[in-house]
Amino acid sequence: MFKKVLIANRGEIALRIIRACKELDIATVAVYSEADADSLHVRFADEIVCIGPGPSAQSYLQIPRIISAAEVTNAEAIHPGYGFLAENADFAEVCESCNIKFIGPEPQMIRDMGNKAKAKETMKNAGVPVIPGSDGILKDKNEAKKIAHGIGYPVIIKASAGGGGRGMRIVRDADGIDRAFETAANEAQTGFGNPDLYMEKFIEHPRHIEIQILADSHGNIVPLGERECSIQRKHQKLIEESPSPIITPKIRKKMAEAAIKGAEAVNYQNAGTIEFLYEDGNFYFMEMNTRIQVEHPVTELVFGIDLIRRQIEIAAGLKFNWNKNYKMRGHAIECRINAEDPAKDFRPSPGKITSFHVPGGYGVRVDTHAYAGYVIPPFYDSLIAKLITHGKTREQALTRMSRCLEEFVIEGIATTIPFLEMILQQEDFIAGNFDTRYVEKIQAKMYAAAA
Amino acid sequence: MKEEEIKRLVKIVEESNIDTLEISRWGRSIKITKNTMGPNSMTNSHSTQTYSAPATALSQQPVEPKVQEAKPETPAVGDEIKSPMVGTFFLSPAPDADPYVKVGSTVKKGQVLCIIEAMKLMNEIESEHDGKIVEILVENAQPVEYNQPLFRIEPA
Repeated sequence: MFKKVLIANRGEIALRIIRACKELDIATVAVYSEADADSLHVRFADEIVCIGPGPSAQSYLQIPRIISAAEVTNAEAIHPGYGFLAENADFAEVCESCNIKFIGPEPQMIRDMGNKAKAKETMKNAGVPVIPGSDGILKDKNEAKKIAHGIGYPVIIKASAGGGGRGMRIVRDADGIDRAFETAANEAQTGFGNPDLYMEKFIEHPRHIEIQILADSHGNIVPLGERECSIQRKHQKLIEESPSPIITPKIRKKMAEAAIKGAEAVNYQNAGTIEFLYEDGNFYFMEMNTRIQVEHPVTELVFGIDLIRRQIEIAAGLKFNWNKNYKMRGHAIECRINAEDPAKDFRPSPGKITSFHVPGGYGVRVDTHAYAGYVIPPFYDSLIAKLITHGKTREQALTRMSRCLEEFVIEGIATTIPFLEMILQQEDFIAGNFDTRYVEKIQAKMYAAAA
Repeated sequence: MKEEEIKRLVKIVEESNIDTLEISRWGRSIKITKNTMGPNSMTNSHSTQTYSAPATALSQQPVEPKVQEAKPETPAVGDEIKSPMVGTFFLSPAPDADPYVKVGSTVKKGQVLCIIEAMKLMNEIESEHDGKIVEILVENAQPVEYNQPLFRIEPA
């Protein structure tokens, strides 16, 4: 087991990792920017090294300084957390070449899954369902019609070099192909200088459902259920839960098998998550995250497993008696609390927290780096706390969450708590009827009502 | 304070785990500091002077009513030069070579003041001003972090 680990991160996840290290009797080294000098991860680590000024590019993304910090403190391993350098294959490689163990998968696995097109192909070859579509660039309108007929309408024609919603056209029947092809190609040419198009099945009401896996260095891979993450705003998750309210045991088994197949295809090691788009009993590979995720606590509570601890143990090469029949127990929900003002279009609200009271009691967990008197720096993401509740049933977990959101006191800054409270009261949400466009619909409804 | 008493106090400090002994009585005070090996060698050598001052000096004149500081309070002179990186600080280009600068050295802008070793690479840290080195704030082979003060320099 490692004697000393450096945490290349900040905020709540850095604190989370320090806690796991302390329980494993591992000495901790925190790196911090000048803006984080009063941060909790700095206060609770055994050793600290300042690595730069506030802006991430000059501190938490500074690979040489972080490696140096590990060298001068004799840290044997680095846990990258999430974000920052967690999925930076170069960083993982530098760690390796400096004889520092990167707590995560190998650099090549990170690289393979980081290239989205390549990842999709790898998964497809492994037999993992991917979004049906053209095999590469569409030759012409006729080929487009043929492929669309094969995969079924609606389809979406997309610019290969595109992004940002441009050079995309949704087509609902064969008559629309000609025009869609022309206009999309024109838009692609003008917007990106490249008229190449490809086609995918268009999923109208996708749910974002991801499978957590844990793989040790001896070839064992374990699926740890799914997380429902469809409550998102601008592609940022707000609420996550496990299990998903609509996934049946049969589908869960299929998705878990697909996830394992995908992980085996790249000889994956350590913790990882495979994200799927789900609709009407069908699921399609979206992407793989080769790191621990923000919402890992819901899986921890439902399975009774400490994922960060497992990550460290796997990296240390420990052999496990994998109990292949991990059982899901009860239901867990996580609300991400951000320093943003929902009444002002979620404008960030950095500043000093004047009072801070976290909810507690049976089935409640709060992961946070904030405290009364803490000044939220403006340089980083706005996540200040994760509130997780667990209950025997989804209903119980929801009731508990509502109670906790009401009990949570954060003053001095604006937070998204009121918005979360509102979602928890919506009939559709309570019934489990939602997809990734749900928050958008709610916001539109709110504005219409206010108008 | 008589010489005998001072000798006795010195013996007590020497034979115990005490680092510093300060006694103040009737307007007179004495401070005895053990000369331990460590980063504050400057402080130690100064107070060794205090302790080894002949008893006659003490008996001839009453010590100032206030407690003597081991290190005289001088206002910090000059500007700080801070480390731009994380690494290990070295005063000389090689273990047996002369240091790049000493206290009192005159330096020119662009002149190498020290090396910070990071990831097996030796990085030369250059002076940003012409001036005189007033103080060296780190020990040789000491780890340094970002923005840690390394030198005080009095700009020319």
